[in-house]
Amino acid sequence: MSGTNYKYAPSLPEEFKCRVPLPGTVQALVNNGILRDQVEFDAGIKIVPGKDLGFVYNVPANCIAKESLQVISFRDSGNTSDISYQNSLVFGKDSESSMLLCTHTLSMDQFNTDEIVNIDIEEGATADIVVMQNEHNSSRHKVTFRVKVARKGNVRINVVTLHGAQLDNFFEVDLKGKEAKCELNGVYLVDGTQKINTEVRMNHLVPDCWSSQLFKGILDDKSVTSFTGRILVAKDAQKTEAYQANHNLLVSSAAKAYAQPQLEIYADDVKCSHGATSGRLDENALFYMRSRGIGASEAKLLQQLAFAYDVLEKIDNEKLRQRLYDLVESRLRGEFSHCDNCSMNCC
Amino acid sequence: MLEIKGLHASIGGKEILKGIDISVKEGEVHAIMGPNGSGKSTLSAVLAGRDTFDVTEGDVKYKGIDLLELEPEERARQGLFLGFQYPVEIPGVSNVNFMKTAINEQRKFRGLPPISAAEFLKLMREKMAVVEMDSSFSGRGVNVGFSGGEKKRNEIFQMAMLDPALAILDETDSGLDIDALRIVAAGVNKLKRADNAFIVITHYQRLLDYIIPDVVHVLYDGRIIKTAGKELALEVEERGYDWLIKG
Repeated sequence: MSGTNYKYAPSLPEEFKCRVPLPGTVQALVNNGILRDQVEFDAGIKIVPGKDLGFVYNVPANCIAKESLQVISFRDSGNTSDISYQNSLVFGKDSESSMLLCTHTLSMDQFNTDEIVNIDIEEGATADIVVMQNEHNSSRHKVTFRVKVARKGNVRINVVTLHGAQLDNFFEVDLKGKEAKCELNGVYLVDGTQKINTEVRMNHLVPDCWSSQLFKGILDDKSVTSFTGRILVAKDAQKTEAYQANHNLLVSSAAKAYAQPQLEIYADDVKCSHGATSGRLDENALFYMRSRGIGASEAKLLQQLAFAYDVLEKIDNEKLRQRLYDLVESRLRGEFSHCDNCSMNCC
Repeated sequence: MLEIKGLHASIGGKEILKGIDISVKEGEVHAIMGPNGSGKSTLSAVLAGRDTFDVTEGDVKYKGIDLLELEPEERARQGLFLGFQYPVEIPGVSNVNFMKTAINEQRKFRGLPPISAAEFLKLMREKMAVVEMDSSFSGRGVNVGFSGGEKKRNEIFQMAMLDPALAILDETDSGLDIDALRIVAAGVNKLKRADNAFIVITHYQRLLDYIIPDVVHVLYDGRIIKTAGKELALEVEERGYDWLIKG
């Protein structure tokens, strides 16, 4: 991965869509915060522009979605000023759906983006959200996910962060109805002087809720990452189950990974765990692979891919998982990360 | 095929191998026996290219090449194989992916194109049968969650896949029950040919009931103290090592 210095700035073609979109995927474009397409699909699932910038996405109650939405959000030279906006995602009662949020930068300008993503998981709703971040070396992007999960609601967010100057992902999750579930997983790859900060506040406000966090980082060169994860268990939130793990693979000796797990527990009948590790490549495994004829650099790559795989395997959609796996692999090889399927060559 | 001459090796300044001479010809099976701490595993690690050991003296010629000059992967690509005493677990890398990568890296070295999917699958099936390995193993992480016996069978399976000219098996029999031992030994016997060779490192004579060696060496305190035919193994089994050490 070390030494990647590609310019991530393809020009914007007229028709910006995946040439081979994932099967069953509907796409919508967001350009500098403005939704370009209003889309309605399945039984009334809708994405429309927000009041100012951003979008409003709604999955109606009881809707079992057959199709999945892919929001491709990109910054380009059309507007290089700092922007901030909010998106609103509502997953109606007892609905089941999935979506993919991709963020990109298409010109080499200095971008600052501050985005809030409000996610409402209503009673009994299930939402499966994958976030893919691939931005260039002068892009700073902060995303605040404000997640509220009602009774028996279930949300999973898998974040794959491939590239960016500084990306801050902040998750504030309120498990506010009994038996609510939230799973957050993330893998981030950094090199050069890139920075990725992840902060999680997992608030267990009522009894019988479940949460899990798994964040893994692969750091090369002089990159820096931080993970601050707080699990709060309110006084009455008995029978809470909450798990958190942050693992970092330091490929260079100059990279730095900060980890700060925090547990704040006021209830007395809870199951909580947290763990944070930083390690280097496993010399025994490298030798084992080399003794089978696998070259040293290939052996290192296999080990890094294996490290990332723990998170990637949480992505249920097999085709999407494979595409992201390929992107992670080309990123680790120090190649331009794109999947050939898209006219943008971005994802 | 292999000429080891006056090999000395140390770790952290402590000398482990104190002058080893062994000559292995094509078609031969050599057994290296010796008590714990005699340097058996060090010898195999040095031959495979583990850089935690420093070779301080001596040389090793393999097919006329200076083996000690080669990186571990170059040795493997030249047809050398080490069966590990403690096979390493590599979570997240499936056996299939591991073997495919290894085979293709070796093929690349020989100027061959990557193996086709069909050909690879056929080879996998064929070689898994050699060690009576269940096909469910192929999708699992390398050695992850394998029992001791399964790990050793996986070593023999990998050996069968890579078809080395010289295989060094480092205490492949340790921790095996009698059934696993029989399977591992049968695997080796099936792979034995006139144009390859094996060095079987073992603590006990037990394995040599199944794999009949042509030459037996006894290693003690970093030196070969006795070299003879297969009858030496039986003698060691009966009398232990003391008579050799004192003699």
